[in-house]
Amino acid sequence: MEEFKIDIKKVVFHKEGDTGDFINYDVEKCDGCGMCVKVCSAGLWSLKDGKARLAPRYGELCLECAACWEICVPEAIDFSYPASGSGVTIKYG
Amino acid sequence: MEKWDVVIVGGGPGGSYAAKTAAEKGLKAVFFERGDRPGEKNSSGAGLGTRWWRDFPEIMSKLPELPSYRKADMIVIKVVDEENRVRLVHGTTGSDRDGSRWSNSLDKGMAGAAIYRLDLDPLIADMAIQAGAELRTSTLISDVIIDNGIVTGVKTEKGESIAAEVVIAADGGMSTMARKAGMRNRWGGGCTLVPQLDFGCDGDKLDAVAGNAEWCWFGPFNGAYQMHFAESFHLGAGKWLRPDWDTKPTEVLERVMEIPAFRKFCKVVDAQMREYQAHFLPWLKKPVKSYTGGMMLVGDAGGFPCPLDGEGIWHACMSGRIAAETAAWAISRGDVSERALAEYERRWKASPLGLEHQYGAEFVELWDHSIFDPELMKGLIQLLLEFSEIHPFSILFDWSDDHVGCLNQHIEHLFDMMPEFSDFASKYMSPLGNTISPRVVKRALLQAKPKVPLFKFLPDDLYLKLLARMNSRIRSWLETV
Ligand SMILES: Cc1cc2nc3c(=O)[nH]c(=O)nc-3n(C[C@H](O)[C@H](O)[C@H](O)COP(=O)(O)OP(=O)(O)OC[C@H]3O[C@@H](n4cnc5c(N)ncnc54)[C@H](O)[C@@H]3O)c2cc1C
Ligand code: SF4
Ligand code: SF4
Repeated sequence: MEEFKIDIKKVVFHKEGDTGDFINYDVEKCDGCGMCVKVCSAGLWSLKDGKARLAPRYGELCLECAACWEICVPEAIDFSYPASGSGVTIKYG
Repeated sequence: MEKWDVVIVGGGPGGSYAAKTAAEKGLKAVFFERGDRPGEKNSSGAGLGTRWWRDFPEIMSKLPELPSYRKADMIVIKVVDEENRVRLVHGTTGSDRDGSRWSNSLDKGMAGAAIYRLDLDPLIADMAIQAGAELRTSTLISDVIIDNGIVTGVKTEKGESIAAEVVIAADGGMSTMARKAGMRNRWGGGCTLVPQLDFGCDGDKLDAVAGNAEWCWFGPFNGAYQMHFAESFHLGAGKWLRPDWDTKPTEVLERVMEIPAFRKFCKVVDAQMREYQAHFLPWLKKPVKSYTGGMMLVGDAGGFPCPLDGEGIWHACMSGRIAAETAAWAISRGDVSERALAEYERRWKASPLGLEHQYGAEFVELWDHSIFDPELMKGLIQLLLEFSEIHPFSILFDWSDDHVGCLNQHIEHLFDMMPEFSDFASKYMSPLGNTISPRVVKRALLQAKPKVPLFKFLPDDLYLKLLARMNSRIRSWLETV
């Protein structure tokens, strides 16, 4: 049933401003475990040739949940928040 | 350089309540929020329990004026089996004997409130402003300033430096402040991620179907909560961020939404899926070290949420209050060193907040091995169903002709299931026995006495001594009475 599938593009809201770079990914440290791919609600991580890859325009969809940072044991992912006044905005509650 | 008595990072419940308390104590306090207004970045369940009326009556008296407010008098637990059928419904509510509990001197019974963070966060922030604290929104704090091992201020994302006698980090689970001060890095398994959906719906229909109750869904899947507001509801489910994480966060909720009873509920109340978010919720056996020279951690930044149910807003406000009081005390003595601020931990441990974490390990382990483990839930649900079926009336009214045979079959079946269940019970449920107070144990033992023919005639004292001799746990329990 369509109405019970979650379409992130329709149910997450972002403000206009530029978020800047707030996720830093160090490909050298990545061991290809794929955990970041699993925990990301927005599907912003993928795995190719044994290494993770972050979608270039992640700022437009990222939920700022930091799950990718927490789950990455080799600490290949560093997370900070998007620039003040940009990023996710909770619209309803 | 701009200088304050207290700089608070974060305009969530913890930060705002710390700012309010600091200002009331006469300190020059400023609090920073990265969102354009408090609450903009936050969404929770959010249910507030009875103790809120005891500890934060000034907040509770204002809640009913807010648009999302709904009273919450009971929790309804719905247990679903493998085929998505609702098999057990159980409600917790106030009893006639509630008068014996403190909460009910306030005449609240088992009570709570459901409120959006978009309503709650600005309310507490406004109280802080009224008390004299300054709020700066749209300001991301990106670093701490450290001098000789002591935190002496913070830096904004734009590079501005702001000095403080004491910094209070109330910046949530990811806590940039705790990381930059070298207090910790990743949680390393102690943090859950909670995906949550917001649905708009018809408020009157919701009154009729759910009333003032929260719902919980348990089954051979990740357990979920359903919190009801004035004209909307949330569906959410937490799960520890650990290497055994196996599904997309969205799929955790999609699984619950497969339950036909949930879908029917949505139809009846005209529900419309509106918003999704996924957010950290630290869920630890005990909080992390909560202070360093010049800085204290409050709320989620310090890992304070309840180890039993993951509730954390009360904990944020409580720790915010205690941190600000400690800051005032330390500043007045002219010593904000790490040694001086150890006072913070002493104070929160002696408060109801400390009590909350006394048996954290037992609680976390129980959850960790039950509702988050679909395989185990399958067994538990079956067992619960078996138990409910041997309810005496169900045997009387069972239309099979051999009632006694039927009862024996049930009992035999229970024995078949026991090995699996007793492993679980001895490992994760019996440690919960530690949480029972000695006073209650003594009372239970005395109440049982007349029923045991051998003991019936012994004086109480001798009877308790005898039991203590026989069992070391009873002995240690009784010694503490
Ligand atoms: C989905 C979900 C449901 C929950 N349900 C309940 C519930 O029903 N009842 C309950 O009591 N608890 C619930 N909790 C837990 C509760 O939400 C948290 O424990 C509580 O919000 C902690 O408050 P806090 O002030 O410590 O942190 P937060 O609420 O996270 O506030 C931190 C604030 O700091 C800001 N911030 C962060 N970093 C910076 C920075 N560097 N600079 C400036 N600002 C910054 C953030 O924008 C945010 O406003 C739930 C949690 C989740 C995720
Ligand atoms: S979680 Fe870390 S190590 Fe694993 S694939 Fe992602 S980036 Fe690489
Ligand atoms: S912060 Fe959350 S939404 Fe953003 S990339 Fe990481 S996991 Fe995905």
